[in-house]
Amino acid sequence: MFWNDPLTGALIKSLDRASLQHKVTAQNIANLNTPGYKRSYIEFSEELNRAKLSLKRTNPRHLPAGGAQSEEPQVRVEGGTAMRTDGNNVDLDREMLDLVTNQLRYNILAQTVSDRLTKWRNIINVGRG
Amino acid sequence: MELFRSFHISGSALTAEKLRIDVIASNLANMQTTRTAAGGPYRRRTVVFEERLAQVQRSCRFRGEGVRVAAIVQDPNPPRLEHDPEHPDANEEGFVAYPNIDLAKEMTELITASRSYEAGTTAINTAKSLYLKALEIGRG
Repeated sequence: MFWNDPLTGALIKSLDRASLQHKVTAQNIANLNTPGYKRSYIEFSEELNRAKLSLKRTNPRHLPAGGAQSEEPQVRVEGGTAMRTDGNNVDLDREMLDLVTNQLRYNILAQTVSDRLTKWRNIINVGRG
Repeated sequence: MELFRSFHISGSALTAEKLRIDVIASNLANMQTTRTAAGGPYRRRTVVFEERLAQVQRSCRFRGEGVRVAAIVQDPNPPRLEHDPEHPDANEEGFVAYPNIDLAKEMTELITASRSYEAGTTAINTAKSLYLKALEIGRG
């Protein structure tokens, strides 16, 4: 069914993540001129966790890989680098690129969810004449 | 409000950059001002930006709420002295204290603020298109 279909669930989670990504990028752009501000980003490893890429274990004493952490996206702060002398490390070019890439990703995801809804609606309407 | 938070984030950036442009405009307008309410020549002002964070921890573990202007501070540098004994505000030696404002510096700041403002509007437009796209889900 549509509501418990794992692919739809994954698509909706990805939409949430894209929405969060936009907020993070907007925050970085908003603090373009804040001295000492360090840019935030969403940690990539959660993608792997969400994809449930667990490795096959030949021995139960082997450490499990993947799926160990929470599925919530983790927002991290990139410390240790600086773009300017005031300690700010926001690279506007990079943030604008993130903004556009994220917009495209969001559109693709929304379109896919929409298409799946249409598919289910068509199935429901079969035989209604 | 969680739903429209990206608008608030970028909106705060627009407010902050606009205020910065206002302060720069004030600096440029008062380049030759020798009299102020506080006495003495006008002093160059600059804005101090500060990251704004939500007081409460949100569900998605992202506390960013944009930027805010923490303070408008006065430049502590001494005024520029110019020899002009005819000026009514000249001191005993004939020097007039003018505000210490560097035109090139102010113009550079103005361009930076203007570009940052544009970046903020781009982020708002992107957020708008994301929400419009979300509204289209299920319409087809």
